Amino acid sequence: MAVPTDESRPRLAVGCRWGSHGEEPVILYPEGMIRLQATGRSILELCDGERNLREIVASLALRYPGADRAKIGGDVAVFLESLQQKRIVDY
Amino acid sequence: MIPDPLALIAEITHRCPLHCVYCSNPLEMIAARAELSTEEWARIFRESRELGVLHAHLTGGEPLARPDLRELIRSAHSAGLYTNLITSGIGLSEQRLPGLVEAGLDHIQLSFQDSRETKANWIAGTHAHAHKVALAGIIRKFRIAFTVNLVVHRQNLDHLAEMIAFIEDLGPERMEIAHAQYYGWALENRSFLLPTREQVERSMGIVGAAQQRLAGKIRIDCVVPDYYARYPKACMGGWGRRLLLIDPAGRVLPCHAAGVIPGMQFASVRDHPVKWIWTESEAFQRFRGEDWMMEPCRSCDRRSEDFGGCRCQAFLITGDARGTDPVCSLAPTHRLVDLATRDVRDRDPIDWAYRSNPA
Repeated sequence: MAVPTDESRPRLAVGCRWGSHGEEPVILYPEGMIRLQATGRSILELCDGERNLREIVASLALRYPGADRAKIGGDVAVFLESLQQKRIVDY
Repeated sequence: MIPDPLALIAEITHRCPLHCVYCSNPLEMIAARAELSTEEWARIFRESRELGVLHAHLTGGEPLARPDLRELIRSAHSAGLYTNLITSGIGLSEQRLPGLVEAGLDHIQLSFQDSRETKANWIAGTHAHAHKVALAGIIRKFRIAFTVNLVVHRQNLDHLAEMIAFIEDLGPERMEIAHAQYYGWALENRSFLLPTREQVERSMGIVGAAQQRLAGKIRIDCVVPDYYARYPKACMGGWGRRLLLIDPAGRVLPCHAAGVIPGMQFASVRDHPVKWIWTESEAFQRFRGEDWMMEPCRSCDRRSEDFGGCRCQAFLITGDARGTDPVCSLAPTHRLVDLATRDVRDRDPIDWAYRSNPA
């Protein structure tokens, strides 16, 4: 499967959803859970299947004004691709 | 500090229409009349979630043998648990499935015994294969996560690539290739099931190639065979650290097999809250942490990674549940595992013991 493009609309894959481990939001998938860093969490919160990758990156750029936009785009694509390989995210 | 459990293995019945020769159920099974009620399970699910549990794995036996499965799924889901059905598929139909999905089922794990019908039915001891194939097509009509599980062993490993291609065509998001683990019925039948070292090594290459080929399409998880490993598996992520198993009558165990260890008293949810059993009961304390360990585990650098391996396997093979898991190359008893692997040869006839059913 290819890396996501600007037009990809990522969302949690079937069978994957938010849950809470104590106070901490986590992603539940069939055999376990994923704990997220703050950035991973803010990316996945935007992956609703409605926003495309360009909009997600724009939204993150507003949230992290000091960061380079191209670098955000690259990091988000790598992060989403790794989760797609695990069948946690679809796009 | 006692960690919170993450997953509950809910063995809701020991009844099963299949008779798989590697079944992980104990040899002595619990009768239908002793099974927990719908209401008792609902309380267990609530208490487990309060204790921190995230996943409820509904298994058996065959969970579909319970006519109240839909209510059980509903109560697990309402308690806030991720709900997983581990099933042979026998008892599931296009009519029954929508009710389970509507009740909140998150995921179905469907087992197959082989890609070849005759062989699959021989391993399961019944004619189940054709139904499973048809059912996989029905499951794909629903928006629900789908995993296919395949147990591998000496009698089917030589056509692993064919079996992976067969599963690929069933269209799951995940496949689990699980080498048989030698407890329960699998231990009874070990001399017929234990693969050769060559088979195991070849299978690792085949799985690795399939993982690459199917990346992004099907996630392949592989449960490795520990008899040929250098170090033991971190069984259940450590005794009383992550998982609890509740058997059909309500006894709470740290794993599928712990009932074999002599002298253990497992408390029941009929007498105590789940939290007390997890934190206070003697059985869960017994091998928790490191204080129970003997040498070479006690001073081993790996003790916080694999926790000395599996207590049940240590007992089953060496007779001492406190010893190092004998699959570990550092175990003083390792020669017992070597002996078992050297004994691998084809026997004729294959007169293995089929899993029986509770009274």
